[in-house]
Amino acid sequence: MSELAVERKTKKPRLNWSKKTKRSILGVSMVLPSFLLLLVLVIYPVALSVMESFKSRDGMWTLDNYLYLFTEPHMLNNIKHTLQVTVLSSVFVLTIAYSIAVYLRFNHSWIAKMVGKLYFIPMFIPGVIAIYGFINFYRDNGWIARLIGEGNLPSIIYDMKGLLMINIWFNIPFTTMLLVSAMSSIPNAVIESAKDAGAKKRHLFFQFIFPLTYKTMLVALTFLFMGIVGSFTAPFLIDRNAPQMLGVAMQQHFSSYNEIGQASSMAVFLFLLCSFVGYFYIRSNMKDSTKSY
Amino acid sequence: MSIQLSITNVTKLYPTGEGVKDINIDVRHGELVTLLGPSGCGKTTVLRSAGGFIDPDEGEITITGESVVNIPPEKRPTAMVFQSYNLWPHMTVEDNLAFSLKLKKMKKREWKEKVCWALALVQLSGTEKKHPSELSGGQQQRIALARALLLQPKVLLLDEPFSALDAKLRLELREQVREIQAREQLTMLFVTHDQEEALSISDRIVVMNKGKIEQMATPQHIYNDPASLFVAQFIGRMNFLKGEAAGNALTIGPLSLPNVKHLSGEVTVGVRPEDVVIANGKGQGIPAKVTKVMMLGHYAEVTLHTFLGVLKMFIDRNDIDHYQLNMGIAVTFTKVKSFNGQQVQMKKEEISL
Repeated sequence: MSELAVERKTKKPRLNWSKKTKRSILGVSMVLPSFLLLLVLVIYPVALSVMESFKSRDGMWTLDNYLYLFTEPHMLNNIKHTLQVTVLSSVFVLTIAYSIAVYLRFNHSWIAKMVGKLYFIPMFIPGVIAIYGFINFYRDNGWIARLIGEGNLPSIIYDMKGLLMINIWFNIPFTTMLLVSAMSSIPNAVIESAKDAGAKKRHLFFQFIFPLTYKTMLVALTFLFMGIVGSFTAPFLIDRNAPQMLGVAMQQHFSSYNEIGQASSMAVFLFLLCSFVGYFYIRSNMKDSTKSY
Repeated sequence: MSIQLSITNVTKLYPTGEGVKDINIDVRHGELVTLLGPSGCGKTTVLRSAGGFIDPDEGEITITGESVVNIPPEKRPTAMVFQSYNLWPHMTVEDNLAFSLKLKKMKKREWKEKVCWALALVQLSGTEKKHPSELSGGQQQRIALARALLLQPKVLLLDEPFSALDAKLRLELREQVREIQAREQLTMLFVTHDQEEALSISDRIVVMNKGKIEQMATPQHIYNDPASLFVAQFIGRMNFLKGEAAGNALTIGPLSLPNVKHLSGEVTVGVRPEDVVIANGKGQGIPAKVTKVMMLGHYAEVTLHTFLGVLKMFIDRNDIDHYQLNMGIAVTFTKVKSFNGQQVQMKKEEISL
């Protein structure tokens, strides 16, 4: 964008024309590769999908795909289920990760050190392997069930519970890492001077730690939402058959039912959902950048 | 005057073996006492013990006669100003200052008044609505000082509050703190590694080294009469020479001086550069060659080479023309300090900062 601005400015005064033109050409040529990449890999397919979502099977313009998405009961259930899983997972992950981060920041025992070393292990285990391990462990006739007797374990696999658990497993490391770094950027002097001024634990948390980390929390929440709402592998392997998360439904509509228009409408819907969350993230960043800390 | 803060036999050892041992310091009401020493000498440990941020292993700390050892920092009648990051970045200056007052459930009109007073005291009225990031480092430290004052502490603790600032600002703030301290009759414990800062603002200086107190006295006393070789090396500039003590005489090369401390054997003799003077009578002084003359403002420093080693000498800036490079002169000493044992090698940054 700034390149455009430069160009516009340079054209009007027509001073040192050649030098400035050279510079703006250089600027444009430096942005061009990444812009082209974006065009080919993102903008074009997105535009294609959007167009696809407004087309019927015989190539006519129609709103049927969206009508299907927003009126068909099982699709509405899918949307509801997707949002439910996403919101619940995000809340669980954020709560757990935030607690771990606070614990790691203010506790210096050997247990804390261990936790600090262990919490990002899930990041290094390939997703599919983790999921199959998880299924073996928790399914109705899995290891746990064999240990405590079959029938004593509530069903976890092929249920939302299992999906929430695996989402927690996958998302804790990165979220915790974000929050730990936010916590550790609170200088000790801030905490100590607050104590010195008479702040009790409750004041410390609500008036210092929380306000100083909530921006990072918002970032983490955005990442969580976007990551979970469009996830495929975990819900495909763990979740029950209906209702489905939109990622799974999309795949089915696309390859099993060959309903490309309907799959596209779901994709567009997910895209809008993510843009909406992204908008809030960007807005809060812009608002706070005036009083940066 | 009554004793405000009393630190008795305080010991705190860290797992690394560092720490402080048997520290005894009394600070009287309205007095500014400075803890001075190289980094790692334990001065901050003493200060943080007084503030409640460190639990000493042994010893007693009392403030106006009452023990505070088991009281957490938020309940101690102390306030601390830290080296940096003092202000809470997410709050405005006003919120920073009013935080403790609001905790005390003070009425809005009252705390507004107090905040106004504190800002006027540090000459920053009108910055109420600003965020700390909009203030300069010096301004931030002044606000931090104001915030500490609003706690109405019985003892104000300052942990190298100016060390992150540039030299000129440091001088200004130092003066301002001293003024406020004198006007408000504040009791202060001040930590610094800057000997000049300590000399200029303190009522008394506690020189610390390796977790122990080397000397505790007024700045003048410490400068004129350092109790140990360490203090002599740490405070001000000093030339160190090897000497020989026997009976009533202290021999440094051709010079013979009275052996005031009745030492014997090999001694280290300390001479301040301003106590090095030209010998009048011929043959009595130490022969020296001028190797460098440096103008340092209101005085000049002359570097001399002698058979005893390099000597630094301060001269009046008006006399600078009398000294030419490679000129041979003879010098003597008007005042010397003698110490047992060898001079300890110190890192340069520890000696003069």
